[in-house]
Amino acid sequence: MRKTLMVMALATLLLSTAPAMFAQDIASFEKRIKVETLDNGLTLIVMERPEAPVFSFFIHVDAGSSQELAGQSGLAHMFEHMAFKGTDVIGTTNYAEEKKALEKVESTYRAYELERRKLAGRDDTKVAALEKAWKDSIAEADKFVVKNEFGEIVDREGGVGLNAFTSNDETGYFYSFPANRIEVWAYLESERFLKPVMREFYKERDVVFEERRMRIESNPIGRLVEQFLAAAFTAHPYGRSGVGWPSDLSSYSASDAKLFFDQHYVPSNMVVAVVGDVKAAEVSALVKTYFGRIPKSPKPEPIRTVEPQQNSERTVVIKDPAQPFYIEGYHRPSTFDKDDAVYAVISDLMTSGRTSRLYRSLVRDKKIAAAAAGFSGFPGEKYPNLFAFYAVPTPGHTPAEMQAAIREDIEKLKTADVTADDLNMVKTRAKANLIRGLANNQGLAIQLATAQDRFGDWREVFRQVDAIDKVTAADVRRVANATFVESNRTVGIVESTKMATAPAGGQE
Amino acid sequence: MKPVKLLSTALAFVLALGVSGSVLAQAKDWKEIKKPALRPFKMQQPMRVALPNGTVIFLQEDHELPLVNGYIVIRGGSRDEAAEKTGLVDLYGEVWRTGGTKTKTGDELDDFLEARAAKVETGGDADSTTISWNSLKGDFDSTFAVVVDLIRNPEFRDDKLGIAKSQMNTGIARRNDDPMGIASREATRLGYGKDNPYARIAEYDTVSAVTRDDLVAWHKKYVHPNNMIVGIVGDFDARAMEQKLRKALGALPKGPQATTAKIAMSPAKPGVYFVKKDDVTQSNIRMVHAGVRKDDPDYYTLQVMNELFGGGFSARLFTNIRTKKGLAYSVGGGVGSQYDHQGLFTLQMSTKSGSTVAAVDALYEEIDKLQNEPISDVEMRRAKDSILNSFIFQYDSKQKVLNQQLMLEYFGYPKDFLEKYQAAVEGVTAAQVSAAAKKHIRKGDIAVLVVGKDADFDAPLSKYGTVTPIDVTIPDPGASKAPAAPAAGSAEGKALMMKAVEAMGGNAKLAGLKSYRMVSTLNVKGPMGEMALDADETTIFPDRQRQVLKTPMGEMTMVVSGNAGFMSMAGNLRDLPGSQTKGMLDSIRDTPMWLGGRASDPAYTFAITGDAKVGEVDTKILEISGDGIRVKWCIDPKSGDLLRTIKSSPQGEQIVDFSDFRDVSGIRLPFKGALRTANEDTGKFEVKSMELNPQIDESIFVKPAQ
Repeated sequence: MRKTLMVMALATLLLSTAPAMFAQDIASFEKRIKVETLDNGLTLIVMERPEAPVFSFFIHVDAGSSQELAGQSGLAHMFEHMAFKGTDVIGTTNYAEEKKALEKVESTYRAYELERRKLAGRDDTKVAALEKAWKDSIAEADKFVVKNEFGEIVDREGGVGLNAFTSNDETGYFYSFPANRIEVWAYLESERFLKPVMREFYKERDVVFEERRMRIESNPIGRLVEQFLAAAFTAHPYGRSGVGWPSDLSSYSASDAKLFFDQHYVPSNMVVAVVGDVKAAEVSALVKTYFGRIPKSPKPEPIRTVEPQQNSERTVVIKDPAQPFYIEGYHRPSTFDKDDAVYAVISDLMTSGRTSRLYRSLVRDKKIAAAAAGFSGFPGEKYPNLFAFYAVPTPGHTPAEMQAAIREDIEKLKTADVTADDLNMVKTRAKANLIRGLANNQGLAIQLATAQDRFGDWREVFRQVDAIDKVTAADVRRVANATFVESNRTVGIVESTKMATAPAGGQE
Repeated sequence: MKPVKLLSTALAFVLALGVSGSVLAQAKDWKEIKKPALRPFKMQQPMRVALPNGTVIFLQEDHELPLVNGYIVIRGGSRDEAAEKTGLVDLYGEVWRTGGTKTKTGDELDDFLEARAAKVETGGDADSTTISWNSLKGDFDSTFAVVVDLIRNPEFRDDKLGIAKSQMNTGIARRNDDPMGIASREATRLGYGKDNPYARIAEYDTVSAVTRDDLVAWHKKYVHPNNMIVGIVGDFDARAMEQKLRKALGALPKGPQATTAKIAMSPAKPGVYFVKKDDVTQSNIRMVHAGVRKDDPDYYTLQVMNELFGGGFSARLFTNIRTKKGLAYSVGGGVGSQYDHQGLFTLQMSTKSGSTVAAVDALYEEIDKLQNEPISDVEMRRAKDSILNSFIFQYDSKQKVLNQQLMLEYFGYPKDFLEKYQAAVEGVTAAQVSAAAKKHIRKGDIAVLVVGKDADFDAPLSKYGTVTPIDVTIPDPGASKAPAAPAAGSAEGKALMMKAVEAMGGNAKLAGLKSYRMVSTLNVKGPMGEMALDADETTIFPDRQRQVLKTPMGEMTMVVSGNAGFMSMAGNLRDLPGSQTKGMLDSIRDTPMWLGGRASDPAYTFAITGDAKVGEVDTKILEISGDGIRVKWCIDPKSGDLLRTIKSSPQGEQIVDFSDFRDVSGIRLPFKGALRTANEDTGKFEVKSMELNPQIDESIFVKPAQ
């Protein structure tokens, strides 16, 4: 008895030392991080981390697919691809001539598109002729192109992990360089957003369409999720295909992409984070020299549409030869909501590890699913979004069983308090996960830039853990009761037309 | 005046310089930007400790964050498992951890670790298994204690093996849902050979064949200190950590040294292979043949070749096929290498169905160019620069250096393998790359694989020669058990069968049985609890049956007629999968009522294979086989009563114990039965009414129009 008490006391002591350790770390970060805003509105964060002579960067642009207008779904992602196509210096043999050729591509394309899209009175011979004129002008412009020169320079200078992503909320560009390439970096990344050239746009559009075929059309979960989000969001752009609806993807032009760039890739809408073996003062000077050239421009207006309150359950069922799958989602407020941390706690409680509720219920005890999770921020988090639950049935089990089991766990959230032990576990894990996330340059750059852009302060990375620490059992019940209700729900099901006849598993 | 003027000019000049230097330097053209030499840098190497019992330990201090991560690599992997138990190492890798230790269940370990935000995980790979852990540094001791307990006292509890199997079966059931997954899997099977240990895949039957004893035996065979290499990185003092490890692991006794049998490549014949997948808009293409080992003399040359051919954003495949032709989002590849066996040469690409053949052509074209056209100095320089300038990223973290040293130790490579790399790459010439391209990419050896919807292809694949279809149908459970030949029939067996038939009402009565209708109650036990169902079953021997089940979700009807079957529930009509149809047909023909009538049928054999106690009764086991049916009956030799039937199934033996025998139109039938599968109680049934040779409206077996 006495021994147990001692062990418990010791455990408490150990746990209570963790936050102290942690606070020290924020202090050490404070010392190593410099933030400044350039005259043109661009925000720069530099963190000195001289572990090895390398650095990583992340450029966060506060524009994602949510910023697209109707008829332009996928354009934010399309521009992201174009940001690898070079500038008026990189990727061309003669920009003056290329520019003229590219203008012709745009005018011939517009003529072709207007005829092609006519609802009545379309002249197919004319369409064919206009298409030929357009394709000929592409071939003409192509003569001036030096293929992939931008990526080639990055490769040759020793860059690794060159990539970018576009989400519903934002677009990000990143890679890592040896430390002695800091000025090359400042040049490349500023030129890229100072004078991008929309060359090879229509070939790249084909490439992006292949991406759509891969991620959505040829993937059963992709097919379901696209329809599921379209059902869940009736007004807000979160309901639109991020990679783009096929019609939009085969219609928009290089001029459309350039317009999107002009509006959204303004310095006031961008945060640049550099982490690694660099000197903050040197980076600051270089960024002023190179990125300072980007003209000042006001931050675009926030979008107007807010998803109206859902007042009836919606269901999407895809009958598919693939194996069954189940997902359900409930609208929740954006990441700026005061209850954001409560959702984070619920997600962790339901999903993290083998002690999570969904694992224990669906995988371990009922043995009906191979995996199950509940997560937030779907498909983005900047605007009101979905808290979603999904489960992957084991052979022989159906979406209906997943639904019943998930609902059982949701009901528990609403009717019973989370135990103190469980809540502590979630909080301890949040702290440890934060620390684990601080171990590499690229991860740090992404976290710092994103928090800086979202909340105006990189320290929010740390504050989110504090917010989680304050969540109570009553908060969890309150939020679960407010959120997880039928009229606020959208259900998505892959109903298999060829159910597997596998052993039901379980027994030996 | 003059000097003053001069001075002021000079001042203005200096000032101007100063301004441009400190506040706003001029942006330069990138070609003019100077790149200072990288500061001299040698990443801290881990400390190596060899224990007398054979364990090798690498300790790498890293004080940046209050964390400790560690892992132990253990010799022996899935390439060493038996083919008929493919998946054993995957299951072992899961259940080693989830199955807990002698004193703590896996669930208790979960609770203990998660409360500390600590992790201990185990896993299995082709050439090794691992146990890894990470925790805040204050929790190292308690976390590592779990690791040691798992090494010394693993329990592999059966319930967790069941969950792991179920998860693997889920993966098997879903493996054809993802076209890329199909392409990668089948390409590996073409390259190594489909039964090769590096390529073979788990099936329901190989998973089902794995038992807890197999996991215990694996652990006993491989997990010994002389087969282990330990790596730990984090916020600790290496000397103190060494002492801890000596204490915890030093006492483990040496065991047999793990060895791996030499595995020969057994690739598929070169040619074109096709997997039909109609629910896609994009084809997945692979080209594959054998690659090299990392100790191949051409290894460094191949790294340069891969870089310029299929590596990054500026490689030829990306530039020519993605950027120039717009044919693909994903394209790349090269000659792959492994430490102790050959890797694969693989090119991969995905393209819309309508440009499939154009894409294969484009890949061939790139191979031809690589092999036949001289490589420019510019391209060589670019490829080398790309490798050499980014070389620092091979060792830019303490964890990476630790991982490398551990890997080199594991495969017996020299410690300076990586350091040699730079000089070797610098020395590669264009002529060497061309020669290596001819030697290591062999068009005549290539297997081309296409996964896609052929109806939409731009041209038939037969352009490249005979197309060999690959059937990726997932074998049903039991498929591999073309079971051992049945026991040979015997006179004693036949006599016991006759005795049972007499007890049931005699051969003539049974042979005259053409059909029946049975109404019963079923009590089914499952993971969701117990459920009572009313069942109404009508059967016309030998191949028609209709079952109507009243379930809490509504009425469910299943019908089999000849070779077709369907089910309907709540207005939804659906065909039964072939395997389920076959299952129902078999169950018609293996009922005692039907088999009883086959006692004189020469197609059937009867053999006594042993004894069994059913309840208090000593019975003889009679194996009956014939017409694709195989079943065991436990018969009381005194009364002739059939007390138990035993059938094998992928889930394990299915046993039915009969009781409450009653006479129905001269045939003695059991009215109660208890069901067990793999020694677990799965339910019972009770017959409410039984009619033999009733009037039957045959239209009930016909599938209604939708």
